[in-house]
Amino acid sequence: MSDLRSLLLRRGPLLAAALLLCALPFYLDAFWLRIGLFSMAAAIGAVGLGLLSGTAGQLSLGHAFFLAVGAYGYVWLAGEPGPGLPPAVALVLAVLLAGAAGGLFSPVAGRVKGIYLGVATLALVFLGHHVLLTADSVTGGFNGRSVPPLELGGFAFDGSGPGLTVLGVPFGAEERLWYLGLTLFAVTWFTARGLLRGRPGRALVALRDSETAASVMGVHVARYRSAAFVVSSMYAGLAGVLLALSFRRVVPDYFSLALSVDYLAMIVIGGLGSVAGATAGAVFVTALPLLMTRYADQLPLVAAPGSGDGSIGPTEASRYLYGAAIVAVLLFAPDGLHGLARRARARLRRRAPAPGAPGAGPVPSAAASPVTTDTTARAKEHTP
Amino acid sequence: MTAPAAPPALDVRGVTVRFAGLLALDDVSFTVAPGTVHAVIGPNGAGKSTCFNVLSGLYRPTAGSVRLGAAELTRLAPHRIAALGVARTFQNIVTTRGTVADNLMLGRHALSRAGFAAGALRLPGARREQRAHLARAREIAELTGLGAHFDAPVALLSYGDRKRVELARALCLEPRVLLLDEPVAGMNAAERLRTAEVVREIRAELGLSVVLVEHDMGLVMRLADEVTVLDFGRAVAHGTPDEVRRDPEVLRAYLGTATGEDAA
Repeated sequence: MSDLRSLLLRRGPLLAAALLLCALPFYLDAFWLRIGLFSMAAAIGAVGLGLLSGTAGQLSLGHAFFLAVGAYGYVWLAGEPGPGLPPAVALVLAVLLAGAAGGLFSPVAGRVKGIYLGVATLALVFLGHHVLLTADSVTGGFNGRSVPPLELGGFAFDGSGPGLTVLGVPFGAEERLWYLGLTLFAVTWFTARGLLRGRPGRALVALRDSETAASVMGVHVARYRSAAFVVSSMYAGLAGVLLALSFRRVVPDYFSLALSVDYLAMIVIGGLGSVAGATAGAVFVTALPLLMTRYADQLPLVAAPGSGDGSIGPTEASRYLYGAAIVAVLLFAPDGLHGLARRARARLRRRAPAPGAPGAGPVPSAAASPVTTDTTARAKEHTP
Repeated sequence: MTAPAAPPALDVRGVTVRFAGLLALDDVSFTVAPGTVHAVIGPNGAGKSTCFNVLSGLYRPTAGSVRLGAAELTRLAPHRIAALGVARTFQNIVTTRGTVADNLMLGRHALSRAGFAAGALRLPGARREQRAHLARAREIAELTGLGAHFDAPVALLSYGDRKRVELARALCLEPRVLLLDEPVAGMNAAERLRTAEVVREIRAELGLSVVLVEHDMGLVMRLADEVTVLDFGRAVAHGTPDEVRRDPEVLRAYLGTATGEDAA
């Protein structure tokens, strides 16, 4: 009984959030659902990059490349011209393809460290962009390709086919894709957190904090570096597929260096090394320009899109804003939104020392109380 | 855990390490007999830490060999040496972020299997493995006096406790040979005594060989079965603590200026 209670207490917020997210399509219109959809896709990609850059300490500027591999991989595998596989199979294969692309890069990713890997991966973005533009037969060249909708057991995740109405709400493409995105994001959340809390996560953290300590504790440095890169590429591939499904058309110009930088901004704003942080950062960076565009006419100093009277357009304005957000985070909250939330929680807990604390089930009480302060003090690299 | 078989001898033969023009180790040889505490002492810059870095595979010697039983260590990468049961601590504390438990579980890395797929999918096998290793890590934390801090972030611990985290993490490898690089440096007298006690206990209980680099002569004299003295990269003396203490070469190189520390 008390077990169930403590389980509910522990899982409660997560359950509530999940229920809320499931209920949203019944209340929000397509505009908001699209924002949510793009945010979910970005969150999946950001979790992947967070695993590589935040947890393992390996900078990557090539994330856009792996997003493109996932997106174009799906389009080609499921589409015409292409093998025309069932879309669900194409989705899985596209993720594996992105992982394989990451694996091909592993001779570099396993040996090159930190910021140097960032420079090496820069090449991937330019290479990828060039291939997308020139390999017309596969990628459709400059104009890109339209994305075949996902179908699962006869159920199509787009507006076509027989109309579907649930509880009086017509389910169009956005509503259907919302649940697909939610499922894929849940898978990402579950797997990434499992990874981070288990043996591989600890090995990656050790690699970041001290390669020397990690290696003498038995961590195969090169293998774990490449594995982190492959896993991160697979999440990017999954994000790419979801992005393609949401956009309904893939074009090469989207997968540019700026996209890689956006993903870095997400994990920095959200807080390095945390799944929840990467998610929050992804929502912030994705939703901001869309919201600014929508409400441009009501915002001071921001011109409506297309008005062209010399003032700042909404897209630029949102770039300034999240540029400022990055600077603010780096200066005042180096551990990002995740760190801010954790500190706020700790402060709340200290201010309200729960009256019935000792009886509230198996909570590690005395030992855990001074523990909630942040642990940003970083272990030093040992230089032998 | 099962009673470990006696560890194989660690045999260091003619190890030479040259950095550009600098001769850090010059033809150093010594043997760590199974189950003994072997101290390596010497003035600052004598090559003690370099010697440890060779033993744990971080440096590849210019010449010479290090054998653990039948295995030649100089050709192996650090993680392979760790898998053979050689664990070490560092002179300056090298812990990772997170709790004491996280750090100790890193020590269990070589002994556990769960890979990326098993971790991501939270397979029952991986969770069972994690639980079993966590239980053993907790035992080792109790043994080293860290039981009360098991779930505390390492960054919040005192200096002495963090030093002990490193010791416990090395023990989590279930090592056959334990390399301790200045385990009591910077500790106060009480902490030193406690660490010495822990080292004595683990050696008696786990039957492992210990190689000890330490400046604290009191600790060396109390713990060591055998001592090797390094000076400018050369082994200038071997013997029991008493023999070494009387060796004129050693007095000249080292102890002459360090006897004051005996009080500690």
